[in-house]
Amino acid sequence: MKAYPAEFELVAPRTLPDALSLLAREPGGWLPVAGGTDVMVQYSAGKLPARKLVSIWNLPELRRIEVTADEIQIGAGCTYTDLREHELINREFPLLSSSASWTGGIANQNRGTLGGNIINASPAADSLPALLVYEADLLLVSARGERRVPYVGFHIGYRKTQLAAGELIRAICLKTQFSGYYAHARKVGARNAQAISKVCLAALGLLADGVVDDIRLAMGSIAPIPVRLSETERIVKGKHIDPLLIQSARTMAASEVRPIDDIRSSARYRAAVAGNLVAEFLEQLGARGLRSENAKNVLARWNVWSRAKPLRRSCPVAAQKPGRTGWQLEDHSSMKRPYWLPVTKSGKASRKPIGWKRFEAIRGLAIHFRQPPRLRGLPLGQAKNSKKLELQARMSRSLLRQATARTNKNSTAFSLSVPLANPRTKFLKSSGGVCRMTK
Amino acid sequence: MSQAPLDRAKSEITFTVNEKLETVHVYAMERLLDVLRHELGLTGTKEGCGEGECGSCSVLIDGMLVNSCLIPALQANDTKIVTIEGLAADGRLQILQQAFLVCGGAQCGICTPGMILASLHLLEKKPQPTLEEIREGLSGNLCRCTGYIQIFEAVADAARRGAST
Repeated sequence: MKAYPAEFELVAPRTLPDALSLLAREPGGWLPVAGGTDVMVQYSAGKLPARKLVSIWNLPELRRIEVTADEIQIGAGCTYTDLREHELINREFPLLSSSASWTGGIANQNRGTLGGNIINASPAADSLPALLVYEADLLLVSARGERRVPYVGFHIGYRKTQLAAGELIRAICLKTQFSGYYAHARKVGARNAQAISKVCLAALGLLADGVVDDIRLAMGSIAPIPVRLSETERIVKGKHIDPLLIQSARTMAASEVRPIDDIRSSARYRAAVAGNLVAEFLEQLGARGLRSENAKNVLARWNVWSRAKPLRRSCPVAAQKPGRTGWQLEDHSSMKRPYWLPVTKSGKASRKPIGWKRFEAIRGLAIHFRQPPRLRGLPLGQAKNSKKLELQARMSRSLLRQATARTNKNSTAFSLSVPLANPRTKFLKSSGGVCRMTK
Repeated sequence: MSQAPLDRAKSEITFTVNEKLETVHVYAMERLLDVLRHELGLTGTKEGCGEGECGSCSVLIDGMLVNSCLIPALQANDTKIVTIEGLAADGRLQILQQAFLVCGGAQCGICTPGMILASLHLLEKKPQPTLEEIREGLSGNLCRCTGYIQIFEAVADAARRGAST
């Protein structure tokens, strides 16, 4: 230990007004310390500039969780354990309770407080992205009175906040208005417990008729302060989730964040992970929409897609979204891997294949399809040709079966036999198989 | 620490350690870990990292698992503290300690007091934890010897034998 306890002064007022009047007597002269999980680390390392500390740990006014009809007020002194154990927070604000669950270990969760996490203003704080997406308000209290400020904008720079001298956060207010939302939180770090995040995401999404009605994305560790990904939100909002949208959201998120290189990770890695986390969230949100759809509709749509004639032999099944005229490549430059252009319903498609290595089908039916293995050692001429086609037909049939089974797990569609493709046809017709719902 | 040290007055701090009332005269910012080890001679509580990462200084304050290296002595005033020394009664090991012995959950012993207190805290909250819950409950405690598996087995074994009752 590099600090000498004799140099420091610590007082522990019994009530919040006592603490506030102490802070008001010498504004900026006292450093409040709650659970100590940040302050005591700095202190032990000999890096704590303050010499006078005031303990606000366990002040009853700060340790309450008050629930009103449309709002929940979480006392700033509530620990992560308090958050995790609160039934309403678990139900209504799962992003907050899950981010609390991977902040530190159990011992740190028993001491670390939500208010402390805000004031410490670490760019890597796990709970702050959740506050951003829930659009929390902060109740700031001082001897002069109380004010309510939105949490957005509370952090104004690296470890800088709007908190005035002599002020404390009394409570964090969250409106209970997110009941239908799909919530997704993810931390990427060396490990979930203890390790500080390299990137953490808090995301909320609301689907209405398959369209993204509302989306909120916030990330930590990728900027000096936790940030909302407003550009990414903008391009996703009001759209159907399909692979192209996911791809462009991934690209947008990766370019929107401005991470830095530090001891935990590199800027390039963080940007790539940020894009992937957004893509993962959108995939899950999209799959959720698919699950809630009637299985019959899904099957019907699949049959429409599967009839679409594939363009090249190396791409046997072309799945496409109905109502869309084929895959469109919106941004060639941003895509590292070339994509197929399958045909439209009318049979019209670009004749220019962009590549054959990988074919991406619709999410939920997603199949990564490779070119069939090269056939070597076969006789030349017609025999080789038909053998090759047969193999492709076999692959495409299994592909179709897989996809059907994935679409509708309860149906017996898995065992459907799909008619053999005519090996003499130049273009594969294996996609003509029609799946029916069977009892 | 270039400035001349301002010698603050020591405070009188009273708490219950392992069901025994103790009064110590220490600086308010002294770490609870140091108070336990140096003032009270309870050296079962170890110092590992000193910054709340490793959990070897774990103690229970009012039934809550905490890292004593991050607690200023003043914040421990009027609390009930349980350290590793408070578990065995009348020279007999507690079920959990027995399980650590039997399953080989202790090797060099630095993490063991913290592991046992974290396990105790876990079993008080969840008397029959799943493996996943055990892993989460002990996620704040690092061990460099056993590879954790024997520790998880010890906790599961203790749970089976009713350590929480």
